[in-house]
Amino acid sequence: MNLNTQFVFDGKLKRNLMIGMALGVACLVWSAIGDDEYHTRFWTNYLHNSVFFTGIAFTAMFFMCAQITAFAGWMVAVKRIWEAMSQFMLVGLVLILALVAGVWGHLHHLYHWNVPGITDPESPLYDEIIAGKSGFLSPMFYTIGTVGFLAIWYFWAYKLRQNSLQQDEHETAAFDHYKRERKWAATFLPLGGFLSTVFFWELMMSIDPHWYSTMFAWYTTISVLLAGLSLMIMLILYLQSKGYLEYVTRDHLHDLGKYLFGISVFWTYLWFDQFMLIWYANVGEETIYFKERMNNYPVLFWGNLLLNFVTPFLVLMRNDTKRKVGTMFFACLIVFFGHWWDFFYMIKPGARIAAHESKEISEGKHNKHSEAAPVPSTPEAAQPAATEEAAAAETTPVEEPAAAATEGHAEEAAAATVGGQTGHEDTAQGDHGDHTDHGGSAEHNHDDALTGFKLGFTIPGIQELGVLVGFLSLFLFFFFRQLERAPLVPRKDPFLEESLHHSTGAYIESEGDGGHGH
Amino acid sequence: MAAESKKVLYGLYNDEEDLKSAVKTARHDHLDMMDVLTPFPVHGLDPIMGLAESRLHILGFIYGAIGASFGFGFMSWALASDWPILFGGKPYWPVPSFIPITFEMTVLFAAWGMTITFYTICGMWPGVKAKILDNRITDDKFCIAFDVTDTDDKSVDGIKAFFKKTGAAEVNLKTI
Repeated sequence: MNLNTQFVFDGKLKRNLMIGMALGVACLVWSAIGDDEYHTRFWTNYLHNSVFFTGIAFTAMFFMCAQITAFAGWMVAVKRIWEAMSQFMLVGLVLILALVAGVWGHLHHLYHWNVPGITDPESPLYDEIIAGKSGFLSPMFYTIGTVGFLAIWYFWAYKLRQNSLQQDEHETAAFDHYKRERKWAATFLPLGGFLSTVFFWELMMSIDPHWYSTMFAWYTTISVLLAGLSLMIMLILYLQSKGYLEYVTRDHLHDLGKYLFGISVFWTYLWFDQFMLIWYANVGEETIYFKERMNNYPVLFWGNLLLNFVTPFLVLMRNDTKRKVGTMFFACLIVFFGHWWDFFYMIKPGARIAAHESKEISEGKHNKHSEAAPVPSTPEAAQPAATEEAAAAETTPVEEPAAAATEGHAEEAAAATVGGQTGHEDTAQGDHGDHTDHGGSAEHNHDDALTGFKLGFTIPGIQELGVLVGFLSLFLFFFFRQLERAPLVPRKDPFLEESLHHSTGAYIESEGDGGHGH
Repeated sequence: MAAESKKVLYGLYNDEEDLKSAVKTARHDHLDMMDVLTPFPVHGLDPIMGLAESRLHILGFIYGAIGASFGFGFMSWALASDWPILFGGKPYWPVPSFIPITFEMTVLFAAWGMTITFYTICGMWPGVKAKILDNRITDDKFCIAFDVTDTDDKSVDGIKAFFKKTGAAEVNLKTI
């Protein structure tokens, strides 16, 4: 077993990744052609993939630091992969800087809170709720919370990486480098844990500025952690197929698979917690988030659960499936795509609403928030023939739930929640009121501009998949560049021997480890 | 389990590596081991012993599935069909509200089902008297045991020779 192997980033792989990146750029440009006037599809694709892959780099760093802090010995054989992945935060810094520049220069309309005048009480666009959050939802704090925090994380990732590289050559008998590594890792945990909340709030949750969920940051971080974990397993399997990492055994794979399985269930727990608490409390401005997505984006909504819960749960439940290369690769592919899908689901519908609002403003249709009357102006509600449920559902999503109560249909209004899957006919009527999200605008357009099918928003189109390939190629290119700069094993790590002899103790009859297969 | 007592010939080893090579030798010599007892789980022992993979987890899945359907089905029947009640303005069949209890029922059924099955297989009913070969097996000794109740003297000598050959620290005969 040669522990001094060095990864060679050969020309063929480089060329393939270059082609992938070119495809990504082409698809990014393609998604800007034929786009709406704010290039929402282009910018959401850019935001989606930038955050996704930067998040993968961050969680690779976070997960590795958690392992180091916990004295985990098993993972030393694969530690260099995490190290190389974490260095992508440098690229992420550049990618997200473009989004920050877009916020300052009003180049994109991803964030409704960035509309000029929205926090000014004299302005016709004044929005009291966003004004109340303006300390947080402002270009300055956006800059600090995204690139600022990312720079801090990258500094830690850089120091940890440098220390690890020096360890190979200069480790002392007293394990000075190892001790320093533990300090960098342990201090990164609170930094990463606390700052990641703000990072994801600013970049993604603030797309729906009236909505908030305390579960969101956990949910997003876990989602991207699973994406990183599945990508890492796929990279290990790829490197093994190229003849590297022969000391990474089925037992390492098994433990990574356990993490993938367990954290997938934890993701589902967070998904369900966020959903059920909002569903049960039925506060208008919270419920509208899920109502919008369940009614208008059912493929995204249910596909999310299918890809990220049902598949890994059923495929990875047995212990032998976690030890088979083919099954693991398949499961990881599904989970990786599933969490990319999850980010798509979190970004696209909200950004579509934000762009719609910007359009309304530019056309002078957007009324001052404080003047927004809860008077139903829709044809259904105006006609006495409309059912009680329809009227109640129409008023439920507005900011003041009391408005529904005054109509004397409190019970029906409460029933007309996102529990629409139960077969009550009320929700079918309710989706017309969805864009009252921005504060009960008196202009209720019943066009399909906001609720109808739109490729690239309702489901990912070819451009979206191409952009995914492009960003993935960029990530892998940078990853392989980092990987080739150091031996694949940190050979002076004090836990190396433990890692090379790692055993989960799992006994799979078909593998016949004992050599007595009779 | 059978109530009648058994004559057990067992050897004690000081090290798990000695034990593992001894178990390999016993399998090679076609000696029929009753059991191998260790103070802690020895990784890689199961395949050397030639044990079949446990099927307990399959039962665990089945118990869990029964628990999930029972919990979900009962709540659906009771709250939506038999006596519909409107809770907090939610629909009569509020599926998200049922999920936590369905989850708990899954865990409860799987845990109890597997525990009861495991205890039944091992004959560990309440009031059963533990059959202990040697107290040191739970401390620092590794044991291979042979059931010699119906074994002729020649074979017993063969087992004793096996223990001597594989480096057992001591060999004892005990009726349990």
